Amino acid sequence: MIYPQNNRLIYGFFQRYIPRIIRRNFKEVNFNSVEIDQNKSVLLLANHFSWWDAFLLYFVFAKLTGKKLHVMVLEDTMKKQWFFKYIGAFSVNKTPHGVINALNYAAQLLNDPQNLVLIFPQGKLCSNFVNEVQFEKGVMKIMDQAAGRFQLIYAAAFVENLQYEKPMANVYLSIPVNCTFENIEALTQSYQQHYNDARLLQTKIIL
Amino acid sequence: MIPARRVKIFSNWFAIYMRYRMRKAFNQLMVMPFIPKEGHSILLLCNHFSWWDGLWGNYLAYWHLDRKLYIMMQEDHLKKRMLLNLFGGFSINRSSREMVKSLQYAANLLNDTENLVVVFPQGQLISNHTTEIVVEKGIERLIKNIKGPCQVVYSCALIDYFENLKPSVYFHLFDCGIAGEVSFDKLTERINTFHKQALKDQVNVEH
Repeated sequence: MIYPQNNRLIYGFFQRYIPRIIRRNFKEVNFNSVEIDQNKSVLLLANHFSWWDAFLLYFVFAKLTGKKLHVMVLEDTMKKQWFFKYIGAFSVNKTPHGVINALNYAAQLLNDPQNLVLIFPQGKLCSNFVNEVQFEKGVMKIMDQAAGRFQLIYAAAFVENLQYEKPMANVYLSIPVNCTFENIEALTQSYQQHYNDARLLQTKIIL
Repeated sequence: MIPARRVKIFSNWFAIYMRYRMRKAFNQLMVMPFIPKEGHSILLLCNHFSWWDGLWGNYLAYWHLDRKLYIMMQEDHLKKRMLLNLFGGFSINRSSREMVKSLQYAANLLNDTENLVVVFPQGQLISNHTTEIVVEKGIERLIKNIKGPCQVVYSCALIDYFENLKPSVYFHLFDCGIAGEVSFDKLTERINTFHKQALKDQVNVEH
């Protein structure tokens, strides 16, 4: 497992570089504001359709809160991108032992209210057009271990071109009323509800 | 109504130049296997969600369907970009009585089996995530006026990112039958079935 490392120089560089590449590649990034509890850490669950997801959410949450973003990334990807570990990513190796390590580490991160942990529970890249979101069950383990110490936030991102040459990204955020779930099916269903609502708003865009 | 003043050599240059632009802006343009009927002109109905749609129509016509492109554009849009008039753009003004003329003009073009006419049946920009395609009544009139053999093709373009920083476009092409043999209601129904099929196929697309 690869843990995040601190390097102020590299981190400082990417803090400026990420908004720049987002502005270069996207016409605009739209998102709705949510009320973030400063006394709790944040567990952010999002759909995974591209390489941009984590960068977009970093961009959005840098504007919403000062919390430090950590993201769970597959070990192979992490090895290819040397700088990920300096911007808060930690790796997950998809072996039984590797998964448990990564989940424990994520739960530990949630103990510090200054942290924001981003997880893509789909566990792989899916199309932006999926109807049903399927979660892997590991995320439940994090939620059980860190119960009560974090605020759960759902994010669903969609990309749309419309009249512009460059695409724009719409990120829909919401805080579920109830954040204790009996099993992974209940959590998936709750996220699916948010995803469907977000998609409905997205499909209503007519110019 | 502004008729097309298509100049073959300019149109060919434009197709080559636009392919270069598309290859720069997109990771890949993936056209799902589709063989057009020989000896038929093509009425290409496309979903309309972005700035690129018309250019994609040109790309499909030139590189895949091997026909001369003509494209129906809103009059105010064409007036702003009269250069496109040389590449096969002709106008339609939905609020004037000249609309019938434009539809008749498009139908006449389709009498020549070498031609392809791109029409956006939705008539306005609508989100890429929409699950329903509303086909405007004008299409019925257009198809009724076609005298020669003409194949109606529905092209559903969907944008997805997956592992890449640049988006990829996936074109799902479907044969909607021969003009004159399918009723308008049947055509609308087919387009919607095909659109849903495309959305379903997109989820399992190779990447």
